[in-house]
Amino acid sequence: MLPLSLLNAAQNKPMLVELKNGETFNGHLVNCDNFMNITLREVYQTNPEGDRFWKLKECYIRGSTIKYLRVPDPLLDLVKDEQTRAREAGRSARGGPGGGRGRGAPPRGRGAARGGPIRGGRGRGRGG
Amino acid sequence: MASLQGYVDHRVLLILQDGRAIVGVMAGFDQKSNVVLSDSKERVYSTDEGVEEIPLGLYLVKGDQIVLIGELDEALDQSVDLSTVRAEPLPPIRY
Repeated sequence: MLPLSLLNAAQNKPMLVELKNGETFNGHLVNCDNFMNITLREVYQTNPEGDRFWKLKECYIRGSTIKYLRVPDPLLDLVKDEQTRAREAGRSARGGPGGGRGRGAPPRGRGAARGGPIRGGRGRGRGG
Repeated sequence: MASLQGYVDHRVLLILQDGRAIVGVMAGFDQKSNVVLSDSKERVYSTDEGVEEIPLGLYLVKGDQIVLIGELDEALDQSVDLSTVRAEPLPPIRY
């Protein structure tokens, strides 16, 4: 599973973020993007030495400054189940109404009615 | 091209730029080598005491912090008595 999909699924979950400089941020994930830039709310910030603390209502962390993120353990199983469910849903949705057509391509070929102009063909036509 | 795909769902050892050694099951990775580790533990080595294993849980490590990913032979790893291991801890990488 992709790290970014795990992160996207962790929205509204609590997590710990450690930055490259050793600062830690404990808070709930609000949003994230492909660069792993994140916004957290209800954050407890700690300095690298671990002796100073701040409480922030919201903060934005640039992805490039992150060393790692710790997320709740159950999140992994949660995301795997969601992905399996989404796959099953996608499969049944495609298989249902589109069934019986083989690959699902629109019917083509000789059997289909062609709406072209009626010309004098061999089997058809006016004769004479 | 080297890929981490072979390591997925295997227990691996991750060494980070700050010298930390983390073992865990690799649940996923991406093109930037960001890694998802589940059931991870940090191993702190010391020259006077045995190895301390700190359980960390589910970890998402940024690829730019990773120095090395090694596949652990689980049988071999289980047979090691960590309390008897003495080693100098790795220093942080200096460029």
